[in-house]
Amino acid sequence: MKIRTAKFFVQEGFGSLRKNKTMSAASISSVIAALLVIAIFFIIVMNVDYAASKLESQIEMKVYLHDNLSEAIVSSMSKEIKTISGVKEVQFIPKAQALKDLNSQWGENSYLLEGLEGENPLPDSFKVTLTDPSKANSVALAISSISNIERVVYGKEELEKLLKATYILRISSLAIITILVFISVFIISNTIKLTVYARRKEINIMKYVGATDWFVRGPFIVEGMLLGLLGSFITSLAVGVGYYYSSNAIKNQMIGLLSVTLMPFGDVMSSLVLLLTTVGLMIGIIGSFLSVRKFIKV
Amino acid sequence: MKKTKGSEDLIQLVNVSKKFANGHVALNNVSLNIENGEFVFLVGTSGAGKSTIIKLLMKELELDSGKLIIGEKDITKLKRGQIPNLRRSMGVVFQDFRLLQDKTVYENVAFAMEVVEAAPKDIRRQVPMVLGMVGLSKKSKQYPHQLSGGEQQRVSIARAMVNGPSILIADEPTGNLDPEMSVEIMKLFNEINQRGTTILMATHDLHIVDKMKKRVVEINDGNIIRDERRGGYFSENQNR
Repeated sequence: MKIRTAKFFVQEGFGSLRKNKTMSAASISSVIAALLVIAIFFIIVMNVDYAASKLESQIEMKVYLHDNLSEAIVSSMSKEIKTISGVKEVQFIPKAQALKDLNSQWGENSYLLEGLEGENPLPDSFKVTLTDPSKANSVALAISSISNIERVVYGKEELEKLLKATYILRISSLAIITILVFISVFIISNTIKLTVYARRKEINIMKYVGATDWFVRGPFIVEGMLLGLLGSFITSLAVGVGYYYSSNAIKNQMIGLLSVTLMPFGDVMSSLVLLLTTVGLMIGIIGSFLSVRKFIKV
Repeated sequence: MKKTKGSEDLIQLVNVSKKFANGHVALNNVSLNIENGEFVFLVGTSGAGKSTIIKLLMKELELDSGKLIIGEKDITKLKRGQIPNLRRSMGVVFQDFRLLQDKTVYENVAFAMEVVEAAPKDIRRQVPMVLGMVGLSKKSKQYPHQLSGGEQQRVSIARAMVNGPSILIADEPTGNLDPEMSVEIMKLFNEINQRGTTILMATHDLHIVDKMKKRVVEINDGNIIRDERRGGYFSENQNR
């Protein structure tokens, strides 16, 4: 393409955006609405993934021991567990400590535990943390084969549920995002159809004097790209500001008992801006392409 | 613009038929040869098939059967991507002028060159030249609504001629003009024809056809019923 032609496209594209201020603003708003929903879903998916991976890395195993083992046996068992691949740390929790932990966990209701000090029913245990949660199964098996072990407990089902839930969330978000992209293409193509309609005389003349289809399309594609880019820019800005403040607010308030933290601002925004810009550009180009199609057939 | 080269066929329609989706037969096995440099009037009632011939030549419509040759090229089965090139070899003038109201006279004419990606230096040379030819050099900065109907039609002729086509097609060019203006416009067409451009004009204007004494092709119900070298709007043996 000649530089002159590219310049012509850009000039015409910008010109028509300026000329149809109201319509352009309306379609940018619609694009923003669609992109906002896309952004929200994207942020949810990213944060759930983030939380899931955090939870996964926090997964720990409880290894309950037989009663009345000597200190020497306990320490040799601890050493043995540590050699298993996938194990990060092993911490011995004597039964007295376990009861104390339970007490503080139950808080106000801890009076229910009163009187247990004399005859503590809780066993001694190891707390084992893992380097990789996907190895939980094999680690559990290896530990069970060691003698003097009562039981190995870890959130096997919870872990699987979590993995399944994030998977479902990812798939359904992808579906919703796809639908929204289609809707946005439709919105943009309708707006550009109006500019195309307003300029149908011009297109008609262009075609009669022998302009190529690409030459006729060029300015409208530029216009569509601009609509999409402006929409994604504004959406990114709005979402960025919103995310920044809400993640700060959540961090400061420590909502609920769970220590929920959102994914770091920079990590989310870099991929979000990339996504919104790509989607914005894409719907702009496809939308304008579709809207010129009918009028170009002269 | 090409010079007349004697009796060389520029446009050939060979047994062309065209039927519309609604069943109306627009052209029924029509054959017509137009020589390079000729001036041909297409006459006949509305819906007789005049516009269909023009649209087939422009490749705005596809023919059902037959053959269409322009110059040495068979355009019967021209690919969509090649249509722009075909159209660059033709100029078209319409009854309703089809000027862009937000562009000046100069810009309207230059537009036809810009959209075929002509070099700016050629545009600067060519546009004033054709505006001079149609007698509108002094009005190049005016807008269409500031001009009379005749002047607007001159602008559209200038636009049709600016890319140097070998064929000028006109569909009822005087349909919206009063008789005095029509005469002026026809003088201009005649001049363009004298310089070697082949002209094919569909018209209902019996005065100009009678006055010009050019070749007349009459179409009725999709058939050519008369083809005279130097004819009038009505045939000689018709009651007037």
